[in-house]
This record gives sequence, structure tokens and C-alpha cells, in this order.
Amino acid sequence: MIYRWKNIVKNSVPLLTICIVIEIMAGQILQGNQKQLLILPILLVSIPVINGVGGNIGSILGARLASGLHVGYIEYSIRDKNMHKNLAVILLIGTVAYAILAVLIYYISYLRDIEMDINILNFISIVLGSGVLLIITTSIVSVITAFLSFKKGLDPDDMVAPVVTTIGDTMGIIFLFLLIEVVGI
Amino acid sequence: MYVKEMVIQSLPLLIICGLGEIIAGSTLSGMTRMLEDIPGLIVVIPAIIALRGNISTAFASRLGSAYHLGIIDSDNMWNEELKQNIIGSLTLSLIMSIIIGTLAYISSIPLGVSPDPIKIVMIVVLAGIISGIILTLMTIIIVFLVFKKGYDPDNITGPALATFGDIITMLCILGAAIFVEVIL
Repeated sequence: MIYRWKNIVKNSVPLLTICIVIEIMAGQILQGNQKQLLILPILLVSIPVINGVGGNIGSILGARLASGLHVGYIEYSIRDKNMHKNLAVILLIGTVAYAILAVLIYYISYLRDIEMDINILNFISIVLGSGVLLIITTSIVSVITAFLSFKKGLDPDDMVAPVVTTIGDTMGIIFLFLLIEVVGI
Repeated sequence: MYVKEMVIQSLPLLIICGLGEIIAGSTLSGMTRMLEDIPGLIVVIPAIIALRGNISTAFASRLGSAYHLGIIDSDNMWNEELKQNIIGSLTLSLIMSIIIGTLAYISSIPLGVSPDPIKIVMIVVLAGIISGIILTLMTIIIVFLVFKKGYDPDNITGPALATFGDIITMLCILGAAIFVEVIL
């Protein structure tokens, strides 16, 4: 038998605990800004979307880099042309996805008749702005995690997703409130 | 030219996942009253959702490896290896849920918010365990179907679990919060 439940638990608890401590920090930022969120529930609709896409972009890039490093068409170098190309394309795809989803969130919330005392252009600027800042962050984290774990002999496939989603969740919420401050509601 | 291929394969998937997240977010936006009434509830939400994602994707990826190693397949699915994996995932859900509730309570005190510790821990444990059971079953069914078709589970289970997982977990948090508010 390969799997024993005690080993699964023992091996997972340390990394999961680190992830949870960081996620609780994200939760405390939400709690601190709860008034603003309750006044404008459309922001609550947007949070999982911003964080979800950010995590996906980082994970897709990480999986691509991991395959490239394993197979050998991406070199372990910060100057690697193929890595730069992957980075540029994934950032472009993420930006387009955020633009489409921002419009969808706005109109779905409009149809659901939830409180939304916010101009559509301001709303799109907030979602797109925090989204683009987030995918730049998750992409950089993804490249660093993939390269470092590859160098240390760990499988990047195991490392990138948890690291990217955890850092992404916290940074996504910080960028959202930053953009609310900058754009205004 | 892999640029075109990346756009064609990834963009639709991102939009579909985004639509799933809009459903999860809409559930959250429907909970405004409860978020006001239960201080500390909003603190645990990102942690439960992330925990669920991490445990179930790891579970699915172990099943994927077990498949590649020839330990399980669609004809020989319900064996001791799978049972050990199920017990491991559910035990992790229970332990980590208790840690989330406790950490959320402790970290709230210096910030001037005082949640009811019993309420918060109960909500996290209930939501963690129930979403854990549902997602474990769902993972097994998805992996079984993927085996049957002869696809590689590694390509499919991740995005599928990410999209459904967040919606199911958010609904479980809502259900657990309502239940705890009623009985306490």
C-alpha cells in the first residue's frame, strides 16, 4: 500500500497551516473594510472573481513553465525568451478575461437588483486595475516559484498552485481596496 | 504558433471559471445581513475556500498519480488506497477547520473585534466537513468518469474542482452560518 492516511495528514499540515495564516490576514483586511463592502455588495461579488482569475493565471503559467523546464524548451534563466513570451501572452489573456468579466459582473448584479451606487466606468476601472496588478504579481510569483522549486529538485507542479493562490488571495484584496481608493466610488 | 493555441484554450476556460466565481460572489453578496450579525464570519471565508481548494486538488492529483502508477482504475476503484486517501482528506478538513476558527478568533481580539468563539469555530468546522464530504465524493466521481474515458485526470480535475469547489464551499458556509444562528 502506498497511501496511509496518517502520512497524508502529517505531510500536509505544515504547508496548509502557513496558507491558512496568510488567508486569515486576507480575511482580517476584509473585516477591517467590512462597512465599505456592505454598502456596495457588488464588491463582494467581485472578490472571488478577481482572486479566482488571478490564481488561475498564475497556475496556468506555472504549469506551462514546469512542463517547459522538464522537457527542456525553457531554460533556467531569467532572460529565457520562451519564458518572456509565455509571460506576455498570459498577461494579455488575463487582461481580456478581466475586462469581459467586469462587464458581466456589472450587468448580472444589475439584473439581480443588488445595491450598486457606482458608475460602470469606475467599476470596470476598479476590477480591471486590481486584476491587472494581481496577475502581474501572481505571474512573477509563479515564475519565481517554478524556477526555484525546479532548481531545488522539487516538482514545480506541486509547489506553484498553493503558493500562487495563497499570495494571490491576499494581494487581490489589497489591490481591490487600493483601486477603490484611487478610482473612488 | 502557440500564442493562438494558448488564447483559444485558456480564455474560454478562464471566462467559465469566472462565471462560477460570479455565482460564488453572488452567494457572498446575499449574506450581507449575516456578515453584519456574526462578527468574524468574513475573516474565515477566504481561509475555508482556500483550504477546500488545496485539500481537494491535492486529493485529485494523488488519485491522478495513483492512476498513472496503475494502483487504481475504473474497474478497481474502491480499494484500500482510495479509502486511505478519503480518510486522510477528511481528517485534514477537520483539523485545519479547527485551526482556522481558533486563529480567526485570536487574531480578531487585538483588532478590536470580538467574535463569539464557539459560533465561529462551529461554523468553520461544519462548513469545512460538509464541503469536504461533498467535494471528496465529487472528485471521486469526476476521476472515475475521466478514467472510464481514458483521459489524463491531471488535465481535467484541477479546473473542474476550482470552479465547483468555490461555489459549493460558499453555499456550505452560508448553510452552516444559518444553522448555527438558529441553534445558538
